[in-house]
Amino acid sequence: MGQFLAALDAVWKVVAVGLLLGAGLPALFSLGVRAHASGRLGWAIASYAVVGVSVFAGIAVIVAHGLGYKI
Amino acid sequence: MTPELVLLILVVGTALAFDFTNGFHDTANAMATSIATGALKPRVAVLLCAALNLVGAFLSVEVALTVTNAIVRIQNPDGTPRADLLADGGHSLLLVLLAGLAGAITWNLFTWLRGLPSSSSHAMFGGLVGATIAGLGVESVKWIGSGSTLDGVVGKVILPGIASPVIAALVATVGTWLVFRISRGVAEATMERGFRWGQIGTASLVSLAHGANDAQKTMGVITLALIASGAWTSTHEIPLWVKVACALAIASGTWIGGWRIIRTMGKGLVEISSPQGMAAEAASAAVILSSSQLGFALSTTHVATGSILGSGMGRKGATVRWGLAGRMAIAWVITLPASAAVGAALWLGAHALGDWWGPLFTVAVMAALALWMFLHSRQAPVNPDNVNDAWEVPDSPAPLSESASQKVGS
Repeated sequence: MGQFLAALDAVWKVVAVGLLLGAGLPALFSLGVRAHASGRLGWAIASYAVVGVSVFAGIAVIVAHGLGYKI
Repeated sequence: MTPELVLLILVVGTALAFDFTNGFHDTANAMATSIATGALKPRVAVLLCAALNLVGAFLSVEVALTVTNAIVRIQNPDGTPRADLLADGGHSLLLVLLAGLAGAITWNLFTWLRGLPSSSSHAMFGGLVGATIAGLGVESVKWIGSGSTLDGVVGKVILPGIASPVIAALVATVGTWLVFRISRGVAEATMERGFRWGQIGTASLVSLAHGANDAQKTMGVITLALIASGAWTSTHEIPLWVKVACALAIASGTWIGGWRIIRTMGKGLVEISSPQGMAAEAASAAVILSSSQLGFALSTTHVATGSILGSGMGRKGATVRWGLAGRMAIAWVITLPASAAVGAALWLGAHALGDWWGPLFTVAVMAALALWMFLHSRQAPVNPDNVNDAWEVPDSPAPLSESASQKVGS
């Protein structure tokens, strides 16, 4: 039972982060694509930039983990 | 040359071979969607994935020496081998590692032959559990963690194995739904073009995370073997040559590409478009990174498969081939027991044949099975040229137009 609860505790956190970043970033990217298609380049670039920065943040997390840092 | 040295060489070689199969088994996790949508040409995709796996492997400086502690009791908490297993020059411990890794490789190749994505980590854990039961007894297996610390077969394999595809599918379903909702009315060609870039970025992130997570498991096992045989003493460092060899093994495996599995994941489960591909890979990356942050041992394969299923469920009118998904689920359930059975059988065979012939027997049986499966795969090869052919029903990893290309591929 303890194991099950511990897993559940990890699961809801992963789901929360997953929904925020894993579903949120593609949604933001599609805002960019939509803005791009309708000629609003400023908005498109802003959306793409946020997604791009998030990908680099992901890389930073992997690198920091690899080097043994706890974030 | 002593039997111990021969055994050590065989363990190191088998571990590197396992790392190689880990690479080619898992290329699909990151690249199947990009290959299926044409965001990347098949050969470019595997090259990019291999390069990122190589970089990822070198990034994992953290010592993963205690990797086996999750499921078996052959190491002390600090990573040194159990003292009683060293009485015979480390022979008992090395034989468990050898049989376990050989069992894992056999299962990895079998699932590849069937075009089924299955977790390489679960295969390795399964092989080690089987070899440990045969060699050291059931009590040396850690079945369940104590209290609220997720550990053992239940906490590190079974619970994450059930949770990960569900979480990934949920995230990808929501992501895909949002993407199509937001971009309603945008021309399809514009969508495909735009999302290809997003797809490549997120797939690269998954590749890098894979290299960082998986290569260090093999590094840990090889270093454990070296410590057991007295060739290495530090538990805080991994020999440089081990790191280089493991990084090269996983990257070259990735570069060869498990085309059968890429085909199943990219074409079989869902007819995928670029927006779905990006939603799937973003879901995978977010779930893999957040769970490794929490120490929740998710399998990249389960996450990637769940994400692809989710990208089909989130899009109105998309077909999801649930029959195939069911077959994968069965393969996941039997990965641990099947690798355990092979690992146990190989240990028993090796033990019966003695110090000299036993280890050679284990490797010979594994190599013979691997060769048989490779030759069998030649009857219906899947390679970069036919990986994207239309998926025919009944579900099969091999395209019906197999006569169209006879080039060597995997």
